[in-house]
Amino acid sequence: MDKQGRGLSETVWTRLDRKAGAITELTVRQLRHRMSTWVVLGVGTLLILMLLAFYVDAVRDGFEPIDNDGDSEDWDGDGYPLGQERKYGTDDWDPMQYPGSGYYVRDGEVHWSDQNRTHSGNQTWIDATGIFSPIWIDEDFQYNRWDDVDFSDLDDCTQNGEFGVDWWISWGDACQQSNGDIALMSVNFRGEGTLRVLEEYYSEWGHFTDQYYVEPEPASNYIDEDDIDWDGNILSSSQGFDDDGDCLRVDWIELDFWFEEDDSNRNGIPCDVVWIIGSDGETIIDIRADENVDEDPDDEKLSGESIHRVFIIAVGKIAFIMILSIFLPLFLALGLVRDETENGTLHYLLSKPIHRGEFIVYRILGYLLIAGSFVLLMSFLMGIFTSLLGPGDSIIRFRDILIWLAIGLTTVLALTAYGAVFNTLGLVSPKYGVYIALIIGVWEFMMAVLTLIGGGSTTIQYASSLSISHWSLQLVDSLVLIIWPDTLTMHLMAEAFNLDTGLDVIWSPPAHTLETGNPYVSAIISVVILSLITTLMIFLAQSVFKRREIM
Amino acid sequence: MTSKSTPTVVIDHCSKWYGNVIGINDVSLAIDGGVTGILGPNGAGKSTLFKLLMGRLKPSGGSVRLFGIDPWESTSPYRRVGYVSETEKLYDWMTGHDFVSTLARLHGMTREEASARAEHVLEFVGLSDVQHKEIGKYSKGMRQRIKIAHALVHDPDLIILDEPLHGCDPIARTSIMSVIRDLGAQGKTVLVSSHILDEIERITEQIVILHNGRLLALGNLHAIRDLLDKHPHRILIKTEKPRELASSFIIEDPVYGVRFSGEGALEILTNDLSAAHSILPRVIVNSGVKINSIENPDDNLESLLKYLVGGDN
Amino acid sequence: MSEDLALANGQTRMEVAYGAGDGDDDAQAVVAQRASLGVVFEQVYRPWNGTLGPRWVRNYAIFRHHVYGLFSSKGHRYYNPFVRLTILVILLSSLTPIAMIFLSSTLPGDASDWLTRMWGINRYNLWGQVLGYYPRNLCMWPLLTALVVGGMISDDRKNGTSAIYFSRPVTRTDYTIMKFLSAAFVLTFVIVFSYVLYYSTSIVFRGEGWAFLIDTLPMFLGGLIAGLLLVFTYTSIGMALSSISQSRFFAAVAFLAIIFGTKLTALLVELVFQTSIIYILSPYDALAHIGQWLVGIPPNYEHSLAFSIVSVLVYNAASIAVLVNRVSSLEVTRE
Repeated sequence: MDKQGRGLSETVWTRLDRKAGAITELTVRQLRHRMSTWVVLGVGTLLILMLLAFYVDAVRDGFEPIDNDGDSEDWDGDGYPLGQERKYGTDDWDPMQYPGSGYYVRDGEVHWSDQNRTHSGNQTWIDATGIFSPIWIDEDFQYNRWDDVDFSDLDDCTQNGEFGVDWWISWGDACQQSNGDIALMSVNFRGEGTLRVLEEYYSEWGHFTDQYYVEPEPASNYIDEDDIDWDGNILSSSQGFDDDGDCLRVDWIELDFWFEEDDSNRNGIPCDVVWIIGSDGETIIDIRADENVDEDPDDEKLSGESIHRVFIIAVGKIAFIMILSIFLPLFLALGLVRDETENGTLHYLLSKPIHRGEFIVYRILGYLLIAGSFVLLMSFLMGIFTSLLGPGDSIIRFRDILIWLAIGLTTVLALTAYGAVFNTLGLVSPKYGVYIALIIGVWEFMMAVLTLIGGGSTTIQYASSLSISHWSLQLVDSLVLIIWPDTLTMHLMAEAFNLDTGLDVIWSPPAHTLETGNPYVSAIISVVILSLITTLMIFLAQSVFKRREIM
Repeated sequence: MTSKSTPTVVIDHCSKWYGNVIGINDVSLAIDGGVTGILGPNGAGKSTLFKLLMGRLKPSGGSVRLFGIDPWESTSPYRRVGYVSETEKLYDWMTGHDFVSTLARLHGMTREEASARAEHVLEFVGLSDVQHKEIGKYSKGMRQRIKIAHALVHDPDLIILDEPLHGCDPIARTSIMSVIRDLGAQGKTVLVSSHILDEIERITEQIVILHNGRLLALGNLHAIRDLLDKHPHRILIKTEKPRELASSFIIEDPVYGVRFSGEGALEILTNDLSAAHSILPRVIVNSGVKINSIENPDDNLESLLKYLVGGDN
Repeated sequence: MSEDLALANGQTRMEVAYGAGDGDDDAQAVVAQRASLGVVFEQVYRPWNGTLGPRWVRNYAIFRHHVYGLFSSKGHRYYNPFVRLTILVILLSSLTPIAMIFLSSTLPGDASDWLTRMWGINRYNLWGQVLGYYPRNLCMWPLLTALVVGGMISDDRKNGTSAIYFSRPVTRTDYTIMKFLSAAFVLTFVIVFSYVLYYSTSIVFRGEGWAFLIDTLPMFLGGLIAGLLLVFTYTSIGMALSSISQSRFFAAVAFLAIIFGTKLTALLVELVFQTSIIYILSPYDALAHIGQWLVGIPPNYEHSLAFSIVSVLVYNAASIAVLVNRVSSLEVTRE
């Protein structure tokens, strides 16, 4: 028992604890009694609920399998999808050409300078320019969709003189002369007779292979048909198999316009994928795929998961970090000490045996209790929904809950840092503080946008690192990689196999890893920087407040 | 009260300037035990003095000690100090009990302790029947009393009240005064500021007079008043027939002159105010003149100050 | 008595009338001096025989009070020096294209062509001058509106100065309209004025002729209307927020939160769910959509223009409804 008759249990710490409790509780109750707090939190809840509604709606629709390489489309409407047309070497822009339609084989030609300028026979004539003396003409023939000369109803040539010397007709046109010969200007047709090619023009002739019937394949055959083939064998860097054959093209009919290099990653092996493993022997740090290899993977397995992650990361970054963590402190934290000073109610609190420095810390603690628990509640809500509704076989995706916890905690860290900054501003400069806070808010917002859109660019990463939002977003990126290590692989796959999942837009590997590539490093750096900002700000506020004369 | 060698409040050659404006100018005081009234007109430096005592302001010169400790450097004296500031704002959304018990917890009390102490002090200031109402619904007198209650909740040895009677009606005034007198009777050191001599007179006899930031006088109010009494004084009588009354007064000993200061008004000039007051009833009754009012225009802080500063009346 | 009258400055008069001070200060009131014993006080109403100025003169005084304050605080509304500085910086940076145009008129050849292509008058630049998102609409206009409009009504509520207006022959409608107009004027001064200046100076610097003028005038007018619409919408949202706030800061932050929050949310939904419909919640995007139509450039949005028009109308209608409602119930004391 001390001289004031208090028990031994009354240590300095329990009394400190009680003071902290009292001020924190007072702050919480004060904020609770402000209408604006409820408006702000209500709007925040509405925002999260709206995003959830969109998410639930999207899940109900299911993840449509996405045709990543676009070869399931039937552009010319001939009933054969692009993939099948490619196999048969036909053009998917031309309904006249389709698998089994036969293809043209050139037999001969007349160049602009050739001496012999006539040819006779039953042929398919291509780019015929000159005078044709017909024996018969296939009036139904159409070489491609742009041919529009109607041989059943030819115009008469009305000009006098010699065609090609005295008069001309327009390209792709034909007319019948009075002697029955046909004047042609780069026309495709089929018929028997003699073609006299105009001087200094080109024509060719050939024949069509036999037509045969090919069963049109359903478009679904060309969706998700080239899955990613990776056996997990880290010793072999050459992986992947071109399941749909659009890179290997064995037994395919090649056409001139359909040509791509089959070893675009230049490792000497055609149609493979190089998976580059990091020095730790486990992490994939780069993927270099040859064109058209593994380019249309199973979306249910891959895109579904990616899109789900994109949703979580995007909501975490934009809604939680950029909206909630900037605006909640602006509304709630700026007046923590400033309002008390302005009202004069500070006198009640400061006439108690409590250090002014402690007072600031407890005030921020009270604000955090409201703002932080709100954010954690919202992230928990999101976690429950996404872990139940997300793709996969398990009933609950525990990693989702973890990731939401990470986002929630990151937001709380950001809330603390912003709270400390704004509180300090209001305290240090009661007159200008509010305006500076507004401008800092806008600045943080701009830097967050820069960080978000400039994911890959190191210049932008370093330029925008002069902001709290940058480090919060970095922390989210790092934590995502820690909790879902395969996000990096997905990100690389999205880039390598042209997956349109948005993962490469919304998430990029953390930049500040001291060149180790280790997410733990960047996470720790981010946490340290955020805590440092918070501590510095609180320290600044304390030292200013301690020497402040209060009228 | 704990035994101590130093007085509760020691102010040693303390000055405080706000830029070029002087708040307190070279004031030295030592106060210990009982109720002390700090008297002075607005701007005399009463609040500045209290804020220096409460460590809100840093002295520009000299030193301030509470229980021997500098309040600007350390918050530890506040464990034994209760402060009623002049601020009018309160947490209007809290109930009186909440307000007092929350602030009590800042002294390191547990929730239960704080609640019990709050009930106790609210009883003491006479607010127990409204303690669960919101402060926003309190009257001005109640608000002043709740401010006193929060200052008393930890049973302090020193209580500083900045204008506690300010803006209260007579009933509230009386009850607050009795609370302050009770505290003095309990042996606590109480500092009360006011700019109304009457109020202070009803609370205590020990006063400190501040004027323009300077310490003008300190000591027993009666002694100061006696000094004042020996000084030319006026008594203003309003009556229908001032001339008749004047003739009755002029022959009395303490009265050295009369003056007609307006229609229906008579000023009696005296050098001994108490003597003049003692003959007043007799003379009036004897004269049989109807009196409307009797006033002591000089019995206020203003004339006291004028006298102390050395001006004539 | 006349000296006392002179002593009674505006503040003490307010305090006497509404008890804002504690009454023991040096406040002096004419009536108290005339009181005699037994009478609480004697109030003399002197009929005023002057002629009341026409309504527009009184209203103009309110307008002037708010607008002149930007330049001089003496006798006009007080604008924080920081606010003035920010407005100046925003105005100057919105005038940067003019400097570029000027540069292009002095430089020869390729450099000039390049500058003209980048900053010269065309549909996209005219649209961008008022409605471009980065940086004008991202950081400049919302910040400007927040700073200018935030305290328009909330300050009056906080200080009780609305009583000064309502104790004069000024109706609440006039009060609201003039406050609105003066806020809109300041915004117009920065946003629309810089736009008009940009258009006219570039014509002067480039030495363009009538044909160019006739070619570009329709799109200039389209941009002008879009700019005025932007000013009107931002002002009405800001005024509504100001009228429901106790402090100018809350109104300012709330305005920024609405502009940035809706924009970001819409962006998020578009990124993840491939639909642009949420953009109708964002005042900025609704205005930008309408602006694109007015200036005649293809829209960035998938949803129909009608949605954006409705959105802007709803935002304005709701804001003005809130504003009118709040002002008509505004108390003449400090709240």
